[in-house]
Amino acid sequence: MLKTETITINMGPQHPSTHGVFRMVLTLNGETIVDLKPMFGYLHRGLEKTSESRTYLQAVPFTDRLDYICSMSNNFAYAVAVEKLAGIEVPLRAEYIRVIMAELTRLVNHMLAVGFLFNDLGAWYTPVVYAFRERERILDLFEMASGSRMMCNYIRPGGVAADLPAEFLPQLRKMIPHLENFVREIRFYLSDNEIFKARAVGVGFLPADMAVAYSITGPVLRASGVKYDVRKAEPYSIYDQFEFDVPTQVAGDVYARYLQRLDEMDESLKILRQAVERIPDGEYATKVPSRLRPPKGEAYARIEAPKGELGFYLVSDGSPNPYRWRNRPPSLINLSALREMCLGHKVADVVTILGSIDITLADVDR
Amino acid sequence: MQVLDDLWIRIAVWFRGLLESFLPPWAVQLTMDVLGILLLIVLGIVVVLAFTYMERKVIARVGDRIGPNRAGPFGIFQAIADAIKMLTKEDVTPTNADRWLFLAAPIVVIIPAVLLYAVLPFGRGMVGVDLNIAVVFVVAMGGIPILTMLMAGWASNNKYALLGAFRTVAQLISYEVPMVVALLTVVLLAGTMSTVGIVEAQASFPFALVTPVAFVVYMLAGLAELNRTPFDLLEADSEIVAGYFIEYSGMKFAMFFLAEYINLFMVAGMITTLFLAGWQWPILPSWLWFLIKVVVVIFLMMWIRATFPRFRIDQMLGFAWKALVPVSLVNLFLVALVAKVLEPGWARTGVLFVSNLALLAGAIAIMAQVARKREERARAAGEAAIKRYYGSEVR
Amino acid sequence: MYGKGIAKGLWVTLKHIWGTYAKDIKKFPRRYAPGGIAKRTDYDLYGLFTLQYPEERYEMFPRFRGALMHLRNPETGEPNCTACGACERACPHGVISLEGEGKGKDRKVTAYRYDLGRCIFCRLCVESCNFNAIELSREYELSRYKKDFILELDDLLKIGDKYGIHKTGEAWGVTE
Repeated sequence: MLKTETITINMGPQHPSTHGVFRMVLTLNGETIVDLKPMFGYLHRGLEKTSESRTYLQAVPFTDRLDYICSMSNNFAYAVAVEKLAGIEVPLRAEYIRVIMAELTRLVNHMLAVGFLFNDLGAWYTPVVYAFRERERILDLFEMASGSRMMCNYIRPGGVAADLPAEFLPQLRKMIPHLENFVREIRFYLSDNEIFKARAVGVGFLPADMAVAYSITGPVLRASGVKYDVRKAEPYSIYDQFEFDVPTQVAGDVYARYLQRLDEMDESLKILRQAVERIPDGEYATKVPSRLRPPKGEAYARIEAPKGELGFYLVSDGSPNPYRWRNRPPSLINLSALREMCLGHKVADVVTILGSIDITLADVDR
Repeated sequence: MQVLDDLWIRIAVWFRGLLESFLPPWAVQLTMDVLGILLLIVLGIVVVLAFTYMERKVIARVGDRIGPNRAGPFGIFQAIADAIKMLTKEDVTPTNADRWLFLAAPIVVIIPAVLLYAVLPFGRGMVGVDLNIAVVFVVAMGGIPILTMLMAGWASNNKYALLGAFRTVAQLISYEVPMVVALLTVVLLAGTMSTVGIVEAQASFPFALVTPVAFVVYMLAGLAELNRTPFDLLEADSEIVAGYFIEYSGMKFAMFFLAEYINLFMVAGMITTLFLAGWQWPILPSWLWFLIKVVVVIFLMMWIRATFPRFRIDQMLGFAWKALVPVSLVNLFLVALVAKVLEPGWARTGVLFVSNLALLAGAIAIMAQVARKREERARAAGEAAIKRYYGSEVR
Repeated sequence: MYGKGIAKGLWVTLKHIWGTYAKDIKKFPRRYAPGGIAKRTDYDLYGLFTLQYPEERYEMFPRFRGALMHLRNPETGEPNCTACGACERACPHGVISLEGEGKGKDRKVTAYRYDLGRCIFCRLCVESCNFNAIELSREYELSRYKKDFILELDDLLKIGDKYGIHKTGEAWGVTE
């Protein structure tokens, strides 16, 4: 008699498409997934605990390293949390600079997400190279403003580290139409591709109710059809002054998530256009003492980071060091639905689905 | 022109004359044969060097990069540097591997690849053996690598390798079928199985014009046979790491690599021979025409590789069995019918061309319908979930 | 029509192949940028983007954050540092340790150890400095043959002599 067995495969931690050191224990029946167990923690650096022994300002560079692709948004979320905790007012120009940086970060993240999704699909580096080219140009802007390409450490409690250099805004004005071209090209190049559609349509379906039950946020949630965006739901900074839509998709599969990211890039560019037009002159930061001692209390602040809702929960006991420094990483929480999305699909779909969730392992493990 | 056209044959004849002046006839024959075989093997290696370089350059240029440009002028020695690196790497055999199979697989994989060159007509009168069943020989030899890939995958004692080997067997056997049917179409039109005969039969029209369907089917099946994007599932980098040769390193890996590129040239050469009139076409010398066509076909394959993602295994097998096999069978029937009724000439070519285009359009329309159904299903599922979440109204 | 997406994809990549060669031809006899300083490319979807690094490099932005450097007083040639220890306290990683002697205005730095291997280039030390004594340089080729990544005061002053002329502080809006 013939008999069949399931086999167990360790996908990762050393695997080309797990986006870092992430392990999935797959139980396979042939090529079909019977069970999937995500294992992570290989990149745990104890950033939360380390930050508790640093001052509020010293923890800013650590937030860069949470999700290293969108360091500016992490800075932003942390700054908002500290300001909430200590009751600091932020000048209007600083808010505009923050919004510009956060939206540029969203563009960087989404173009990389799309690019790496195609890497996972086997498109031999071409889309990811195009994405990287544009990312380099945006990182040039970051470097111009903050001195560093990835670990920006630019948005600080109270404002930003320094005013924008004189050539920043003209450069950005020139760049926005170019980025719109880029998004258009990516749409033209990939959106209709039959092979991509065959791989992505109907794969990794995440129903809207399940997405909410797993507290998924960000593009993954909106791709499932739930219109929820922290920028609209609980406007922070000056997002209530901008005109933009929250795009949603219906299908909730890999293809919808891809389209969602492109749509969000368009919206980000819309916000950028308005911000560049309206940015006022003035102070770029409120003076905050380097050894800030917030009053006793606690604060939770959240922003719409490119990957989802990024929150910081800070507890102060009145000393210069936070008593508790907690971070709600979007990657980790979005990852929790991986198993539900993958069951019944093929091995090849696992990497696609993982790519479409768009995680950064540094953000998952902290 | 005639001199250039016959260049290689003249050299061979002159050399044979030289040998005959001091060797007995049997020794002359032996020397010439051995030299011919060596020449083909050397050609195989030169092909690998040239096309790895070309592949890297093409993929780099697609990605707005320069590609290899360090080793030698324009990086042309990059492939040699790669070869030296391969040769000097440590040769690892996994502890629990099936030792002999593991060793044998890379050797066995390269033999049929080189053997295939014997029947490829490189130019007018330039063919290793003018076999009267050359097409059958090509199909038979093309089947052997499947075995070696399974050998390699099994012997490595690695799950990824085993998965890769599963995929290999399923994929290559599936794609053998449409490939053979497309071949049969050509054989029907040419009335011969000899590759030389097939090239000569295309004196007026290349078969790519006569039966575009067979050309497309053969091209796709060839891509699958070569494990190239969009059918490169066997070595899918991002899924099963490298597939059946994951455990191989150093020279053994280089053997698989060699075989892959030798096969690339071979399949491009077969496409040229079967559909693009081989070495025919005026003005340029025949061997140069052959080379140009092969390079164009290979560029097309590299371009496709640099542009597209890959299929999934079930979709790919489905594509072979549900799309390529029926289409190529219908095409075979069509060609058989028309070839019986009409004499070779403009009328036959026209009728076949138009009917082939119609067939292609029909197949594409059906595939589009299937894809649209899929999209609608996905959308409906999403809508149902949104309704569940929001209550009655959507958004 | 089915197959349109495939044709579109091929068209885009073909345009990119062509674009790189078109740009190559413009550059033709010259392989690298003149003087080894490459201009950042225009905002263009097509054309080569590669920077051939050791032969050509970009000019750094004024605010670039590289290795730490010590600045000298332009009149006396002495280091500006007064060993107040603000940078030591500001550093999140304990990269800096220093010693000084003297009191008040006469206080001078005698030893300054900077662990390059652990530095995260956050610039918090520079922001804490009130004496314009330290600044981040444009030095970014920081790899070493040895594991010894600790730079002493002399090394930092040497970097400062090389990069101090760029006046990085002005780019950051420091007006002292």
